[in-house]
Amino acid sequence: MDKDIVARVAKAAHIRLTDEELEKYSKDLGDILEYFAILDEAPNHEGNGINPIEVADVLRDDVPEEKFESEKLLADMKTYENYIRGPKLV
Amino acid sequence: MSDADTLSKLSKLNEKYQMFNDFCRDGELGDAKFLFSAKDNLTSEEYETCAGSRILGGYRPIFDATSIAKLKAAGGKLVGKTNMDEFGFGTFSANSGFGIPRNPFDLSRSCGGSSGGSACAAAVLDDHISLGVSTGGSICCPASFCGTYGIVPSYGRVSRYGLIDYGNSLDKIGILSVDPKQMTKYLPIIAGKDKEDPTSCVQPELKITHKKMKSVAVPREAVEGIAKDVLEAFNKALEDLKSMGIDVEYVDMPELKYAMPAYYILATSEASTNLARYVGMRYGQQEGDLTLGFDDYFTSFRTEYFGDEAKRRILLGTYTRMEGFRDRYYAKALQVRLVVIDAYKKMFQQHDAVLTPTMPFVSPKFDDISRMTPVESYKADFLTVPANLAGTPHLNCPCGYNADGMPIGMQFVSDHWNEDVLLTMAEEWDKQFEVRKAEVSL
Repeated sequence: MDKDIVARVAKAAHIRLTDEELEKYSKDLGDILEYFAILDEAPNHEGNGINPIEVADVLRDDVPEEKFESEKLLADMKTYENYIRGPKLV
Repeated sequence: MSDADTLSKLSKLNEKYQMFNDFCRDGELGDAKFLFSAKDNLTSEEYETCAGSRILGGYRPIFDATSIAKLKAAGGKLVGKTNMDEFGFGTFSANSGFGIPRNPFDLSRSCGGSSGGSACAAAVLDDHISLGVSTGGSICCPASFCGTYGIVPSYGRVSRYGLIDYGNSLDKIGILSVDPKQMTKYLPIIAGKDKEDPTSCVQPELKITHKKMKSVAVPREAVEGIAKDVLEAFNKALEDLKSMGIDVEYVDMPELKYAMPAYYILATSEASTNLARYVGMRYGQQEGDLTLGFDDYFTSFRTEYFGDEAKRRILLGTYTRMEGFRDRYYAKALQVRLVVIDAYKKMFQQHDAVLTPTMPFVSPKFDDISRMTPVESYKADFLTVPANLAGTPHLNCPCGYNADGMPIGMQFVSDHWNEDVLLTMAEEWDKQFEVRKAEVSL
Protein backbone atom coordinates (compact mmCIF):
# COMPACT_ATOMS: atom_id res chain seq x y z
CA MET A 1 0.00 0.00 0.00
CA ASP A 2 1.15 3.50 -0.76
CA LYS A 3 3.06 4.92 2.21
CA ASP A 4 1.32 8.29 1.89
CA ILE A 5 -2.06 6.60 2.39
CA VAL A 6 -0.81 4.67 5.42
CA ALA A 7 0.55 7.91 6.88
CA ARG A 8 -2.85 9.56 6.35
CA VAL A 9 -4.66 6.63 7.97
CA ALA A 10 -2.25 6.63 10.92
CA LYS A 11 -2.80 10.32 11.49
CA ALA A 12 -6.59 9.83 11.48
CA ALA A 13 -6.15 6.95 13.97
CA HIS A 14 -3.89 9.00 16.27
CA ILE A 15 -0.90 6.69 15.88
CA ARG A 16 2.60 8.00 15.18
CA LEU A 17 4.77 5.80 12.95
CA THR A 18 8.52 5.83 12.45
CA ASP A 19 9.81 5.53 8.90
CA GLU A 20 10.62 1.90 9.59
CA GLU A 21 7.10 1.22 10.88
CA LEU A 22 5.58 3.06 7.93
CA GLU A 23 7.52 0.76 5.63
CA LYS A 24 6.46 -2.35 7.56
CA TYR A 25 2.74 -1.53 7.84
CA SER A 26 2.58 -0.43 4.19
CA LYS A 27 3.84 -3.85 3.16
CA ASP A 28 1.62 -5.72 5.64
CA LEU A 29 -1.53 -3.84 4.66
CA GLY A 30 -0.70 -4.27 0.98
CA ASP A 31 -0.34 -8.04 1.46
CA ILE A 32 -3.56 -8.22 3.48
CA LEU A 33 -5.61 -6.23 0.97
CA GLU A 34 -4.21 -8.30 -1.88
CA TYR A 35 -5.51 -11.39 -0.09
CA PHE A 36 -8.87 -9.65 0.52
CA ALA A 37 -9.30 -9.05 -3.24
CA ILE A 38 -11.19 -12.34 -3.42
CA LEU A 39 -14.14 -10.39 -2.01
CA ASP A 40 -14.59 -8.78 -5.43
CA GLU A 41 -15.73 -12.20 -6.72
CA ALA A 42 -18.22 -12.75 -3.89
CA PRO A 43 -21.91 -12.58 -4.72
CA ASN A 44 -23.87 -9.54 -3.62
CA HIS A 45 -26.78 -9.69 -1.20
CA GLU A 46 -29.81 -7.45 -0.97
CA GLY A 47 -29.75 -7.24 2.81
CA ASN A 48 -27.51 -5.38 5.20
CA GLY A 49 -25.61 -7.61 7.61
CA ILE A 50 -24.86 -5.09 10.35
CA ASN A 51 -25.75 -7.85 12.83
CA PRO A 52 -25.74 -11.62 12.35
CA ILE A 53 -29.17 -11.91 13.96
CA GLU A 54 -32.20 -9.69 13.74
CA VAL A 55 -31.85 -7.17 16.53
CA ALA A 56 -35.04 -5.49 17.68
CA ASP A 57 -35.01 -1.90 18.79
CA VAL A 58 -35.30 -1.91 22.54
CA LEU A 59 -36.33 1.64 23.29
CA ARG A 60 -37.49 2.92 26.64
CA ASP A 61 -38.19 6.22 28.27
CA ASP A 62 -35.22 7.88 29.91
CA VAL A 63 -35.38 7.46 33.64
CA PRO A 64 -32.75 9.35 35.66
CA GLU A 65 -30.88 7.13 38.07
CA GLU A 66 -27.48 7.02 39.71
CA LYS A 67 -26.27 3.56 38.81
CA PHE A 68 -22.76 4.16 40.04
CA GLU A 69 -21.59 6.63 42.63
CA SER A 70 -19.60 9.34 40.88
CA GLU A 71 -16.83 9.05 43.52
CA LYS A 72 -16.33 5.41 42.54
CA LEU A 73 -16.26 6.28 38.86
CA LEU A 74 -13.66 8.95 39.47
CA ALA A 75 -11.54 6.78 41.75
CA ASP A 76 -9.70 5.15 38.84
CA MET A 77 -9.05 8.43 37.05
CA LYS A 78 -6.33 10.98 37.64
CA THR A 79 -8.64 13.80 38.66
CA TYR A 80 -8.08 17.38 39.72
CA GLU A 81 -10.59 18.66 42.26
CA ASN A 82 -12.99 15.94 41.10
CA TYR A 83 -12.70 16.98 37.46
CA ILE A 84 -11.34 14.67 34.78
CA ARG A 85 -8.02 16.05 33.58
CA GLY A 86 -7.28 16.40 29.92
CA PRO A 87 -4.86 18.06 27.53
CA LYS A 88 -5.37 21.62 26.42
CA LEU A 89 -7.84 22.18 23.61
CA VAL A 90 -6.30 25.33 22.14
CA MET B 1 -7.33 -29.31 50.25
CA SER B 2 -7.28 -26.15 52.40
CA ASP B 3 -7.90 -22.73 50.86
CA ALA B 4 -4.25 -21.84 51.41
CA ASP B 5 -3.10 -25.01 49.64
CA THR B 6 -5.48 -24.41 46.74
CA LEU B 7 -4.26 -20.84 46.30
CA SER B 8 -0.63 -21.89 46.64
CA LYS B 9 -1.15 -24.44 43.89
CA LEU B 10 -2.86 -21.80 41.77
CA SER B 11 0.14 -19.52 42.18
CA LYS B 12 2.63 -22.26 41.26
CA LEU B 13 0.61 -23.27 38.22
CA ASN B 14 0.46 -19.68 37.08
CA GLU B 15 4.22 -19.34 37.47
CA LYS B 16 4.64 -22.27 35.12
CA TYR B 17 1.90 -21.60 32.55
CA GLN B 18 1.33 -17.81 32.81
CA MET B 19 -2.39 -18.24 32.30
CA PHE B 20 -3.53 -15.33 34.49
CA ASN B 21 -3.07 -11.60 34.24
CA ASP B 22 -4.37 -11.16 37.79
CA PHE B 23 -5.48 -13.88 40.19
CA CYS B 24 -6.46 -14.71 43.76
CA ARG B 25 -3.17 -14.75 45.69
CA ASP B 26 -4.47 -14.91 49.24
CA GLY B 27 -7.65 -14.76 51.29
CA GLU B 28 -10.35 -17.36 51.59
CA LEU B 29 -12.40 -19.20 49.05
CA GLY B 30 -15.27 -19.29 51.54
CA ASP B 31 -18.12 -21.61 50.78
CA ALA B 32 -17.77 -21.34 47.01
CA LYS B 33 -19.65 -24.09 45.19
CA PHE B 34 -17.21 -23.94 42.29
CA LEU B 35 -14.17 -22.02 41.09
CA PHE B 36 -14.03 -20.28 37.76
CA SER B 37 -11.83 -17.89 35.80
CA ALA B 38 -12.68 -15.33 33.16
CA LYS B 39 -10.93 -13.83 30.18
CA ASP B 40 -9.35 -10.51 31.04
CA ASN B 41 -11.63 -8.51 28.75
CA LEU B 42 -14.56 -9.16 31.09
CA THR B 43 -14.83 -6.59 33.88
CA SER B 44 -14.65 -7.69 37.49
CA GLU B 45 -14.57 -5.69 40.66
CA GLU B 46 -11.85 -7.58 42.50
CA TYR B 47 -9.18 -7.82 39.81
CA GLU B 48 -7.50 -5.60 37.30
CA THR B 49 -9.06 -5.78 33.83
CA CYS B 50 -6.61 -5.00 31.06
CA ALA B 51 -7.80 -7.02 28.02
CA GLY B 52 -4.16 -7.93 27.43
CA SER B 53 -3.30 -4.31 26.67
CA ARG B 54 -0.70 -2.10 28.36
CA ILE B 55 -2.89 0.89 27.66
CA LEU B 56 -5.34 -0.48 30.26
CA GLY B 57 -2.60 -1.33 32.78
CA GLY B 58 -3.90 -0.81 36.32
CA TYR B 59 -7.57 -0.44 35.33
CA ARG B 60 -9.90 -1.53 38.15
CA PRO B 61 -13.54 -1.68 37.01
CA ILE B 62 -16.27 -0.86 39.52
CA PHE B 63 -18.73 -3.48 38.29
CA ASP B 64 -18.88 -7.12 37.24
CA ALA B 65 -19.71 -8.17 33.71
CA THR B 66 -23.17 -9.79 33.63
CA SER B 67 -21.71 -13.22 32.85
CA ILE B 68 -19.37 -13.01 35.84
CA ALA B 69 -22.10 -11.66 38.11
CA LYS B 70 -24.38 -14.55 37.16
CA LEU B 71 -21.73 -17.18 37.94
CA LYS B 72 -21.03 -15.51 41.28
CA ALA B 73 -24.77 -15.49 42.05
CA ALA B 74 -24.78 -19.22 41.30
CA GLY B 75 -22.16 -19.75 44.02
CA GLY B 76 -19.00 -19.44 41.94
CA LYS B 77 -15.73 -17.87 43.05
CA LEU B 78 -13.75 -15.96 40.42
CA VAL B 79 -10.13 -16.96 41.01
CA GLY B 80 -8.40 -15.23 38.14
CA LYS B 81 -8.49 -13.16 35.00
CA THR B 82 -6.95 -15.05 32.12
CA ASN B 83 -4.27 -13.85 29.77
CA MET B 84 -5.14 -13.07 26.17
CA ASP B 85 -4.03 -11.37 22.98
CA GLU B 86 -4.35 -7.60 23.27
CA PHE B 87 -8.09 -6.83 22.87
CA GLY B 88 -8.46 -10.30 21.30
CA PHE B 89 -6.16 -9.51 18.37
CA GLY B 90 -4.47 -12.83 17.70
CA THR B 91 -4.57 -16.57 17.17
CA PHE B 92 -1.80 -17.61 19.55
CA SER B 93 -2.09 -15.38 22.68
CA ALA B 94 1.39 -14.15 21.78
CA ASN B 95 0.18 -10.55 21.40
CA SER B 96 -0.42 -9.90 25.10
CA GLY B 97 1.20 -7.03 26.97
CA PHE B 98 1.50 -9.27 30.03
CA GLY B 99 3.42 -12.43 29.10
CA ILE B 100 2.41 -15.41 27.01
CA PRO B 101 0.44 -18.41 28.32
CA ARG B 102 2.16 -21.76 27.72
CA ASN B 103 0.51 -24.85 26.29
CA PRO B 104 0.02 -27.47 29.02
CA PHE B 105 0.97 -30.27 26.61
CA ASP B 106 4.22 -28.60 25.51
CA LEU B 107 5.55 -25.41 27.06
CA SER B 108 7.31 -24.43 23.84
CA ARG B 109 3.97 -24.19 22.06
CA SER B 110 1.05 -21.77 22.08
CA CYS B 111 -2.24 -22.18 23.94
CA GLY B 112 -3.97 -20.66 20.93
CA GLY B 113 -5.83 -17.43 21.04
CA SER B 114 -7.16 -15.22 21.89
CA SER B 115 -8.68 -16.92 24.98
CA GLY B 116 -5.39 -18.81 25.50
CA GLY B 117 -5.23 -18.29 29.24
CA SER B 118 -8.79 -19.55 29.62
CA ALA B 119 -8.05 -22.76 27.69
CA CYS B 120 -4.90 -23.29 29.75
CA ALA B 121 -6.81 -22.79 33.02
CA ALA B 122 -9.55 -25.18 31.90
CA ALA B 123 -6.91 -27.76 30.97
CA VAL B 124 -4.73 -27.66 34.10
CA LEU B 125 -7.06 -26.75 36.98
CA ASP B 126 -9.27 -29.42 38.52
CA ASP B 127 -13.06 -29.15 38.04
CA HIS B 128 -12.62 -25.74 36.50
CA ILE B 129 -14.65 -23.73 34.02
CA SER B 130 -13.36 -20.63 32.31
CA LEU B 131 -15.26 -17.89 30.55
CA GLY B 132 -13.82 -17.08 27.14
CA VAL B 133 -14.81 -14.64 24.43
CA SER B 134 -14.91 -15.46 20.74
CA THR B 135 -14.87 -12.85 17.99
CA GLY B 136 -13.38 -14.90 15.13
CA GLY B 137 -12.39 -18.19 16.76
CA SER B 138 -11.01 -17.20 20.12
CA ILE B 139 -12.67 -20.02 22.06
CA CYS B 140 -12.57 -22.97 19.66
CA CYS B 141 -8.95 -22.34 18.59
CA PRO B 142 -7.45 -22.42 22.10
CA ALA B 143 -9.80 -25.22 23.13
CA SER B 144 -8.48 -27.24 20.18
CA PHE B 145 -4.82 -26.46 20.95
CA CYS B 146 -5.19 -27.25 24.69
CA GLY B 147 -7.43 -30.31 24.32
CA THR B 148 -10.56 -28.96 26.04
CA TYR B 149 -14.17 -28.59 25.05
CA GLY B 150 -15.32 -25.09 24.21
CA ILE B 151 -18.82 -23.81 23.48
CA VAL B 152 -19.54 -20.54 21.70
CA PRO B 153 -23.26 -19.71 21.89
CA SER B 154 -25.26 -17.77 19.33
CA TYR B 155 -24.48 -14.09 19.00
CA GLY B 156 -26.75 -12.38 21.52
CA ARG B 157 -27.24 -15.44 23.75
CA VAL B 158 -25.00 -14.16 26.57
CA SER B 159 -25.08 -10.50 27.55
CA ARG B 160 -22.00 -8.52 26.51
CA TYR B 161 -22.47 -6.03 29.32
CA GLY B 162 -19.07 -5.63 30.95
CA LEU B 163 -17.19 -7.00 27.94
CA ILE B 164 -14.47 -4.74 26.58
CA ASP B 165 -15.51 -4.59 22.94
CA TYR B 166 -13.42 -5.88 20.08
CA GLY B 167 -16.12 -6.19 17.38
CA ASN B 168 -19.62 -5.46 18.66
CA SER B 169 -21.37 -7.48 15.97
CA LEU B 170 -19.07 -10.47 16.46
CA ASP B 171 -18.20 -10.81 20.17
CA LYS B 172 -19.70 -13.81 22.00
CA ILE B 173 -19.04 -15.04 25.55
CA GLY B 174 -18.73 -18.80 26.01
CA ILE B 175 -17.29 -21.52 28.23
CA LEU B 176 -14.22 -23.77 28.14
CA SER B 177 -13.93 -26.95 30.21
CA VAL B 178 -12.61 -30.48 29.97
CA ASP B 179 -16.03 -31.65 31.19
CA PRO B 180 -18.91 -31.04 28.75
CA LYS B 181 -21.44 -31.53 31.56
CA GLN B 182 -20.11 -28.34 33.12
CA MET B 183 -20.85 -26.44 29.91
CA THR B 184 -24.40 -27.83 29.86
CA LYS B 185 -24.81 -26.80 33.47
CA TYR B 186 -23.39 -23.27 33.29
CA LEU B 187 -24.28 -21.99 29.82
CA PRO B 188 -27.99 -21.65 30.74
CA ILE B 189 -26.89 -19.73 33.84
CA ILE B 190 -24.92 -17.07 31.96
CA ALA B 191 -27.43 -16.94 29.05
CA GLY B 192 -30.58 -14.84 29.00
CA LYS B 193 -31.95 -11.42 28.29
CA ASP B 194 -30.24 -8.45 29.88
CA LYS B 195 -31.59 -4.94 29.51
CA GLU B 196 -28.00 -3.67 29.60
CA ASP B 197 -27.33 -5.39 26.23
CA PRO B 198 -30.17 -4.94 23.73
CA THR B 199 -28.70 -7.57 21.39
CA SER B 200 -29.43 -10.17 24.09
CA CYS B 201 -33.12 -9.26 24.22
CA VAL B 202 -34.36 -11.05 21.10
CA GLN B 203 -33.27 -14.54 22.09
CA PRO B 204 -35.60 -17.47 22.65
CA GLU B 205 -35.12 -19.31 25.92
CA LEU B 206 -32.20 -21.74 26.02
CA LYS B 207 -33.83 -25.09 26.75
CA ILE B 208 -31.73 -28.17 27.34
CA THR B 209 -33.77 -31.04 25.87
CA HIS B 210 -30.78 -33.28 25.10
CA LYS B 211 -31.61 -33.34 21.41
CA LYS B 212 -29.28 -35.78 19.72
CA MET B 213 -27.44 -35.01 16.53
CA LYS B 214 -28.41 -37.23 13.62
CA SER B 215 -26.63 -35.79 10.61
CA VAL B 216 -23.59 -33.63 9.89
CA ALA B 217 -22.37 -31.94 6.71
CA VAL B 218 -18.62 -31.82 6.05
CA PRO B 219 -17.64 -29.11 3.55
CA ARG B 220 -15.01 -30.36 1.11
CA GLU B 221 -13.44 -26.88 1.14
CA ALA B 222 -12.73 -27.25 4.86
CA VAL B 223 -10.47 -30.27 4.54
CA GLU B 224 -8.24 -28.85 1.80
CA GLY B 225 -4.80 -27.80 2.96
CA ILE B 226 -5.18 -29.38 6.39
CA ALA B 227 -2.08 -30.84 8.07
CA LYS B 228 -1.81 -34.61 7.68
CA ASP B 229 -1.97 -35.38 11.41
CA VAL B 230 -5.11 -33.25 11.83
CA LEU B 231 -6.78 -34.84 8.82
CA GLU B 232 -6.04 -38.36 10.07
CA ALA B 233 -7.58 -37.62 13.46
CA PHE B 234 -10.57 -35.91 11.83
CA ASN B 235 -11.22 -38.83 9.47
CA LYS B 236 -11.02 -41.25 12.40
CA ALA B 237 -13.54 -39.06 14.26
CA LEU B 238 -15.90 -39.21 11.27
CA GLU B 239 -15.84 -43.01 11.46
CA ASP B 240 -16.54 -42.84 15.20
CA LEU B 241 -19.48 -40.50 14.58
CA LYS B 242 -20.87 -42.94 12.03
CA SER B 243 -20.59 -45.74 14.57
CA MET B 244 -22.63 -43.52 16.91
CA GLY B 245 -25.41 -43.54 14.33
CA ILE B 246 -24.72 -40.07 12.91
CA ASP B 247 -24.93 -39.62 9.13
CA VAL B 248 -21.89 -37.91 7.61
CA GLU B 249 -22.22 -36.28 4.19
CA TYR B 250 -19.58 -34.36 2.26
CA VAL B 251 -20.99 -31.15 0.78
CA ASP B 252 -19.84 -28.07 -1.13
CA MET B 253 -19.84 -24.69 0.62
CA PRO B 254 -17.90 -22.43 -1.79
CA GLU B 255 -19.11 -19.36 0.12
CA LEU B 256 -16.78 -20.21 3.02
CA LYS B 257 -13.79 -18.78 1.15
CA TYR B 258 -15.27 -15.27 1.38
CA ALA B 259 -15.72 -15.40 5.14
CA MET B 260 -12.11 -14.68 6.07
CA PRO B 261 -11.70 -11.28 4.36
CA ALA B 262 -15.25 -10.27 5.30
CA TYR B 263 -14.58 -11.13 8.92
CA TYR B 264 -11.29 -9.24 9.15
CA ILE B 265 -12.79 -6.16 7.50
CA LEU B 266 -15.78 -6.05 9.86
CA ALA B 267 -13.76 -6.96 12.95
CA THR B 268 -11.06 -4.37 12.35
CA SER B 269 -13.56 -1.69 11.30
CA GLU B 270 -15.45 -2.14 14.54
CA ALA B 271 -12.25 -2.45 16.59
CA SER B 272 -10.77 0.73 15.18
CA THR B 273 -13.78 2.70 16.38
CA ASN B 274 -14.01 0.90 19.74
CA LEU B 275 -10.37 1.58 20.51
CA ALA B 276 -10.77 5.30 19.84
CA ARG B 277 -11.77 5.67 23.51
CA TYR B 278 -8.29 4.79 24.78
CA VAL B 279 -6.55 8.14 24.90
CA GLY B 280 -5.05 8.29 28.39
CA MET B 281 -7.86 10.11 30.14
CA ARG B 282 -10.34 7.71 31.75
CA TYR B 283 -8.93 4.19 31.90
CA GLY B 284 -5.62 2.60 32.77
CA GLN B 285 -2.55 4.58 31.73
CA GLN B 286 -3.12 8.29 32.34
CA GLU B 287 0.29 9.78 33.15
CA GLY B 288 1.02 12.09 30.25
CA ASP B 289 2.20 15.59 29.43
CA LEU B 290 -0.94 17.71 29.85
CA THR B 291 0.73 20.70 28.25
CA LEU B 292 0.48 18.97 24.88
CA GLY B 293 -2.41 19.76 22.53
CA PHE B 294 -5.11 17.07 22.56
CA ASP B 295 -4.06 15.55 19.23
CA ASP B 296 -0.47 15.13 20.39
CA TYR B 297 -1.56 13.94 23.85
CA PHE B 298 -3.86 11.22 22.47
CA THR B 299 -1.32 10.21 19.85
CA SER B 300 1.46 9.88 22.40
CA PHE B 301 -0.54 7.40 24.52
CA ARG B 302 -1.76 5.31 21.65
CA THR B 303 1.71 5.18 20.06
CA GLU B 304 3.37 4.22 23.34
CA TYR B 305 0.91 1.66 24.70
CA PHE B 306 -0.80 -0.12 21.78
CA GLY B 307 1.07 -3.22 20.61
CA ASP B 308 2.13 -4.04 17.05
CA GLU B 309 -0.93 -6.10 16.08
CA ALA B 310 -3.33 -3.60 17.65
CA LYS B 311 -1.79 -0.85 15.53
CA ARG B 312 -1.97 -3.01 12.40
CA ARG B 313 -5.69 -3.74 12.96
CA ILE B 314 -6.51 -0.13 13.82
CA LEU B 315 -4.84 0.98 10.59
CA LEU B 316 -6.62 -1.70 8.56
CA GLY B 317 -10.03 -0.95 10.09
CA THR B 318 -9.62 2.79 9.68
CA TYR B 319 -8.63 2.33 6.04
CA THR B 320 -11.55 0.03 5.12
CA ARG B 321 -14.05 2.56 6.51
CA MET B 322 -12.54 5.57 4.74
CA GLU B 323 -14.40 7.42 2.02
CA GLY B 324 -13.47 5.96 -1.32
CA PHE B 325 -12.75 2.47 0.07
CA ARG B 326 -15.82 1.89 2.23
CA ASP B 327 -18.07 0.40 -0.48
CA ARG B 328 -15.43 -1.99 -1.77
CA TYR B 329 -14.54 -3.32 1.67
CA TYR B 330 -16.89 -2.57 4.57
CA ALA B 331 -20.20 -2.51 2.68
CA LYS B 332 -19.26 -5.63 0.71
CA ALA B 333 -18.23 -7.46 3.87
CA LEU B 334 -21.67 -6.79 5.38
CA GLN B 335 -23.26 -8.41 2.33
CA VAL B 336 -20.90 -11.38 2.46
CA ARG B 337 -21.90 -12.00 6.07
CA LEU B 338 -25.47 -12.60 4.82
CA VAL B 339 -24.21 -14.79 1.96
CA VAL B 340 -22.39 -16.98 4.50
CA ILE B 341 -25.44 -17.11 6.81
CA ASP B 342 -27.61 -18.20 3.87
CA ALA B 343 -25.09 -20.94 3.03
CA TYR B 344 -25.27 -22.28 6.59
CA LYS B 345 -29.10 -22.08 6.66
CA LYS B 346 -29.19 -24.15 3.48
CA MET B 347 -27.07 -26.83 5.16
CA PHE B 348 -29.26 -26.81 8.27
CA GLN B 349 -32.29 -27.73 6.17
CA GLN B 350 -30.74 -31.18 5.76
CA HIS B 351 -28.28 -31.49 8.63
CA ASP B 352 -28.06 -30.74 12.34
CA ALA B 353 -24.55 -29.32 12.07
CA VAL B 354 -21.66 -28.45 9.81
CA LEU B 355 -18.50 -30.25 10.88
CA THR B 356 -14.86 -29.38 10.15
CA PRO B 357 -11.51 -29.69 11.87
CA THR B 358 -11.20 -26.73 14.25
CA MET B 359 -7.69 -25.64 13.26
CA PRO B 360 -5.65 -26.58 10.19
CA PHE B 361 -2.67 -27.67 12.32
CA VAL B 362 -1.78 -28.55 15.91
CA SER B 363 -0.48 -25.81 18.16
CA PRO B 364 2.71 -24.39 16.62
CA LYS B 365 5.93 -23.63 18.48
CA PHE B 366 6.61 -20.02 19.42
CA ASP B 367 9.64 -19.97 17.11
CA ASP B 368 7.40 -20.84 14.16
CA ILE B 369 4.79 -18.29 15.20
CA SER B 370 7.39 -15.53 15.28
CA ARG B 371 8.21 -16.24 11.62
CA MET B 372 4.58 -16.03 10.42
CA THR B 373 3.48 -13.06 8.33
CA PRO B 374 0.20 -11.34 9.31
CA VAL B 375 -1.59 -12.96 6.35
CA GLU B 376 -0.31 -16.43 7.31
CA SER B 377 -1.51 -15.84 10.84
CA TYR B 378 -4.95 -14.65 9.70
CA LYS B 379 -5.27 -17.65 7.35
CA ALA B 380 -4.91 -20.00 10.34
CA ASP B 381 -8.42 -18.88 11.36
CA PHE B 382 -10.13 -19.93 8.14
CA LEU B 383 -12.10 -22.75 9.77
CA THR B 384 -13.29 -20.84 12.84
CA VAL B 385 -14.11 -17.50 11.21
CA PRO B 386 -17.22 -18.46 9.16
CA ALA B 387 -19.39 -19.46 12.15
CA ASN B 388 -18.26 -16.37 14.04
CA LEU B 389 -19.12 -14.11 11.11
CA ALA B 390 -22.55 -15.79 10.94
CA GLY B 391 -23.12 -15.59 14.71
CA THR B 392 -24.02 -19.28 14.78
CA PRO B 393 -23.22 -21.39 17.84
CA HIS B 394 -20.24 -23.71 17.60
CA LEU B 395 -18.37 -26.25 19.64
CA ASN B 396 -14.86 -27.66 19.84
CA CYS B 397 -14.53 -31.32 20.79
CA PRO B 398 -11.11 -32.89 21.28
CA CYS B 399 -10.92 -35.68 18.69
CA GLY B 400 -7.35 -36.95 18.65
CA TYR B 401 -3.65 -36.49 19.44
CA ASN B 402 -0.73 -36.48 17.04
CA ALA B 403 2.52 -38.42 17.40
CA ASP B 404 3.89 -35.68 19.71
CA GLY B 405 0.84 -35.95 21.93
CA MET B 406 -0.57 -32.58 20.83
CA PRO B 407 -4.38 -32.29 20.92
CA ILE B 408 -6.50 -32.03 17.77
CA GLY B 409 -10.05 -30.70 17.71
CA MET B 410 -13.15 -30.82 15.53
CA GLN B 411 -15.73 -28.07 15.31
CA PHE B 412 -19.50 -28.48 15.07
CA VAL B 413 -21.60 -25.49 13.92
CA SER B 414 -25.37 -25.49 14.45
CA ASP B 415 -28.18 -23.10 13.58
CA HIS B 416 -28.84 -19.90 15.54
CA TRP B 417 -30.14 -20.60 19.06
CA ASN B 418 -29.56 -24.39 18.73
CA GLU B 419 -26.91 -24.73 21.44
CA ASP B 420 -28.82 -27.71 22.87
CA VAL B 421 -27.77 -30.05 20.07
CA LEU B 422 -24.12 -29.03 20.47
CA LEU B 423 -24.05 -29.48 24.25
CA THR B 424 -25.68 -32.89 23.88
CA MET B 425 -23.18 -33.82 21.17
CA ALA B 426 -20.30 -32.93 23.46
CA GLU B 427 -21.67 -35.13 26.24
CA GLU B 428 -22.32 -38.04 23.86
CA TRP B 429 -18.85 -37.70 22.32
CA ASP B 430 -17.26 -37.59 25.76
CA LYS B 431 -18.74 -41.01 26.56
CA GLN B 432 -16.75 -42.68 23.81
CA PHE B 433 -13.65 -40.47 23.37
CA GLU B 434 -11.03 -40.43 26.10
CA VAL B 435 -9.88 -36.86 26.63
CA ARG B 436 -6.26 -36.83 27.81
CA LYS B 437 -5.49 -34.59 30.73
CA ALA B 438 -2.27 -32.67 30.41
CA GLU B 439 0.45 -33.91 32.75
CA VAL B 440 0.81 -31.13 35.26
CA SER B 441 3.99 -31.20 37.33
CA LEU B 442 5.03 -28.40 39.66
